[in-house]
Amino acid sequence: MNGRIGKRLLTPLTSVLALVAALCVGAVVIAINGDSPIQAYSSLLAGSFSNMHYLASTLSSATPLIFTGLGVAVAFKAGMANIGAEGQLYMGAMAAAVVGIYLPAPSVILIPAALLASFLAGGLWGTIPATLKVRCNTNEVVTTLMLNYLAQLFTSYLVNYPLKAEGSALGMTVNIQEAAKLPILYSGSRLNIGFLVAVAAAVLIAILFKHTSTGYEMRFSGENPNFARYIGINTDRRMIQGMFLGGGLAGMGGAILVLGIQYKFVQDISPGYGFDGLTIALMAAFNSYAVLPISILFGALRAGGVTMELNTNVPSELSQVIQATIILFIAAQVSFSGYLNDLIIKVRHGFGRKQKGGGELGDS
Amino acid sequence: MEILDILITPSTFAATLRMAIPLLLVSLGGLLTKQAGIENIGLEGLMLIGCFSGFTINYYTSSWVLGLVGAMLCTILLAMLFGLFVISLRAHEIVAGVALNVMGAGLTTYLLRAIFGVKGSFTDPRVVSIPEVNLDFLSGISWLHDILSGQSILLYISIIILIALDYMLYSTRFGYYIRAAGENEKALASAGVNVARIRYLTLLLHGALCGLGGAFLSTGYLTQYVEKMSAGRGYIAMAAIAFGMAMPKRVLGSVLLFAFVQSLSNRLQICGYPSYFTDMIPYFITVVVLAATSYRSMKREGRLA
Repeated sequence: MNGRIGKRLLTPLTSVLALVAALCVGAVVIAINGDSPIQAYSSLLAGSFSNMHYLASTLSSATPLIFTGLGVAVAFKAGMANIGAEGQLYMGAMAAAVVGIYLPAPSVILIPAALLASFLAGGLWGTIPATLKVRCNTNEVVTTLMLNYLAQLFTSYLVNYPLKAEGSALGMTVNIQEAAKLPILYSGSRLNIGFLVAVAAAVLIAILFKHTSTGYEMRFSGENPNFARYIGINTDRRMIQGMFLGGGLAGMGGAILVLGIQYKFVQDISPGYGFDGLTIALMAAFNSYAVLPISILFGALRAGGVTMELNTNVPSELSQVIQATIILFIAAQVSFSGYLNDLIIKVRHGFGRKQKGGGELGDS
Repeated sequence: MEILDILITPSTFAATLRMAIPLLLVSLGGLLTKQAGIENIGLEGLMLIGCFSGFTINYYTSSWVLGLVGAMLCTILLAMLFGLFVISLRAHEIVAGVALNVMGAGLTTYLLRAIFGVKGSFTDPRVVSIPEVNLDFLSGISWLHDILSGQSILLYISIIILIALDYMLYSTRFGYYIRAAGENEKALASAGVNVARIRYLTLLLHGALCGLGGAFLSTGYLTQYVEKMSAGRGYIAMAAIAFGMAMPKRVLGSVLLFAFVQSLSNRLQICGYPSYFTDMIPYFITVVVLAATSYRSMKREGRLA
């Protein structure tokens, strides 16, 4: 289709525009607060990339985001509006913690087992709304949102009662075994091999969608379910599989928090990584390679925000304001690029034929 | 049953009413837009902005009325921004709703630091709390007096708003337009009505109600601003709307049910029992009910086809 060519050029362009616009909004907010935007931004940048130590902390903050970003992207590709990455992450984190604490095994077995457990827990949690959607036609947006809270409350119960560490005031488990801790990549930081696993996952997902019939059928079920059914694809099965895979990836994001950063499950362990994953997936237009740089950017906002707060008067929550603005612009961009796309096609075809531009979410 | 004696007391019901106020206001706001064909999952964010702006304006003016009005104006502004993106720029409503939630959480925490220079929570004697109504004439009937007396004036205001909205939705032309915008916008447009205008007006009411509900939390329910104090009430409101099928009277029923469950949770917590499972009830009920109703309507449509 001609439309695809225009869109492929436009998506990165509009994502960058959204970022620039959001940084401008952020600058206004900083200036209203009476601080210097240039100083704040340069401190943010310095605090995220200026030396190896900062870079390592940026990449370690980015690791769970890559997983949730991929998880949301995969589910959306299979036609599931997955707002539930947060809940899937909680279930995955809890499963990883239980395995990491209780399974007596050496690292070589323990770490893969914990990661696998987190994948299964997140994936199964994700199949609940997917099954309801497929069998009962239940709107997955609301159910995934509700399941976020159910997961958060359920894990909070576990760490406050049956799994609570003796003598701790807050709800948390005991530390995981030494053998379950993810090996550190850069000493003095929390950057661990989880980052490499995340990159590998992105590559595998890209291969799945580009080069396998399973991936192709999943994508097709998401893009055009009626036609997919017509040509004999079991769309119900593919959609549930897509959500299982997506939930599993988000769950592995939780495992990274437990095995690589906190070394235990702490109540309310995620500061919104699941919702960040949604933003990242949208900015990446559900492309798994694009998830990597965008997650690193968001990791930089988180890591650099702390430095910015220390060096200037600007609170680190500024990065959330910037992020919200990005989401708004990206949300509008889908239809905006549709307009531009129409225009390109019109120019190309001499304003003769009329073609429909992409205005749908799953269209990418 | 000893535990029931602890749980079911007049004060549990009084607490239920107190908790129902913010939930009811926000749910009413949400059901309006739902009827008009917009699903806003950003109720939580709007409510939080209402909490913060209501508290801050109250702090500077020492007037609870100005606090409420200011909160409504701020949330209306944000709701209009949401409308600009969703209605005019055709942004995806779910994504824009997520943006509202992130914005609400980020902006309020940012401003709490920027304006008051604190993190976590803030309170000040300058903040005037919303007055409560004492019904001394009920003192003869002590249990009724315990439940109803001393409730916030906003309880009565929100009941009036509920009745007014119910009347508006089902007995006025504007309400008819709102419902038509949700059910069949093409038919409404071909009848010569500007659908976008109807939706913007609905969002205006939506914003005002979320602001009111939020401001009640920080200047009525408590006289204190606590970071992220809406604590998931925006999502419970979504659950109440879904459970009540977006109809004002039914939504009132589900709000009362959920508020009762919440007050049971609080009592359980005070008595040292885990409250997590009672806290889960609204979300759990909603998933089950949504699944059941969508299954039934799918079956019905299947039979028609």
